[in-house]
Amino acid sequence: MNDDVSLVDAEDATLVVRAADGDVRAFEVLARRHGPLLRVFAAKMLRSNDESDDVVQESFLIGWRQLSDLETPARFRPWMMQIVTRKALDRIRSRRHHDDVDTVDPPAHAVHSPERIVEARLQLDAVWQALDTLPDDQRRCWLLREASGYSYQEIAEALELPVSTVRGLLARARRFLLQEMEAWR
Amino acid sequence: MTNDDAAMPEDDLVDGHTMEELGAYLDRDRTPRDPSIEGSPACRLALSGMQRLRELSWDAMQHRAEDDPDRDSAWISGLLDTIRNEVRSGRDVPVDHPDPRLRLTMTEASVRGLVRRAGDTMGGVVMGRCTLHGDVTEPGTPIRVEVTASIAYGLAADVTADRLRARIAEVLGRHTEIVIDRIDVVFDDVHVP
Repeated sequence: MNDDVSLVDAEDATLVVRAADGDVRAFEVLARRHGPLLRVFAAKMLRSNDESDDVVQESFLIGWRQLSDLETPARFRPWMMQIVTRKALDRIRSRRHHDDVDTVDPPAHAVHSPERIVEARLQLDAVWQALDTLPDDQRRCWLLREASGYSYQEIAEALELPVSTVRGLLARARRFLLQEMEAWR
Repeated sequence: MTNDDAAMPEDDLVDGHTMEELGAYLDRDRTPRDPSIEGSPACRLALSGMQRLRELSWDAMQHRAEDDPDRDSAWISGLLDTIRNEVRSGRDVPVDHPDPRLRLTMTEASVRGLVRRAGDTMGGVVMGRCTLHGDVTEPGTPIRVEVTASIAYGLAADVTADRLRARIAEVLGRHTEIVIDRIDVVFDDVHVP
């Protein structure tokens, strides 16, 4: 299977056109390359690891089915990010409409091994954990803005909130995260 | 756990600019240059903090993404099981058989798979798209085969394209009845081997 080796290093654009031709292996490489990050993003949005696995799997299935709609194959990751974001938002809305408790199983905590901690890593962990301590609305607004690239208006529509509220939530989240980041500088 | 019900603060104002504005400015890669932002030390500080936070959160996500390979293997293998059943087979391509009473066909998807494999195993190219132009369902119709590929840096394009054409012609001749009109090779990328 030495042709697998070449695929692991292949550009996204190459893998996308092959996958659109029906090459499952090419799509597998794309899923392994981008799936983990998108799963972590979904877990952060949903505060649930089990749900995030489902969301990312569903999203890649949608991606597979709609690959021929992707006009610029090199933009696979941002395109998948939009799909994952929409799927995660669907879950959040259906939870809200079913009056469910908003927190299910919290994402796994980082394992701290003191000997591995260096300043950069500490700052990363600090920001990561700070995100977890944010209230749900603030955290989601912030992820939609910074990770999904949504505008304030789009966030407001997605979360069914007034734009003024989104503005306030983002301001708060940003202030808090900056403060946490500075603390570890 | 939240004090969201409290009065919502307005967006922070930095030297007359809201953070929303500054964030949008950052999204545009700070172009076109806005002198009223770039000329303000407070705005520049706010921008660099925002930028750093953005980078940190991506890095943090990336780090976490590498932490749980078993979790990813589980959903990815489920995904692959599903999509394997969904490969669009395309048109039926007749395959020659010594017994004229038998009509054998191969799916277009598997023919494209053969072509990709012929290129991938040659060395020096990574195959991209493969398109079969013409009526492949009708034996004897001349078919134009069009492939895209990435070529290894340093290889001569003309020689490599000829080698690739020969391999594709060989594999199609061996496994199908397709009559090749011509094989167009487009190198749309270069990779470092």
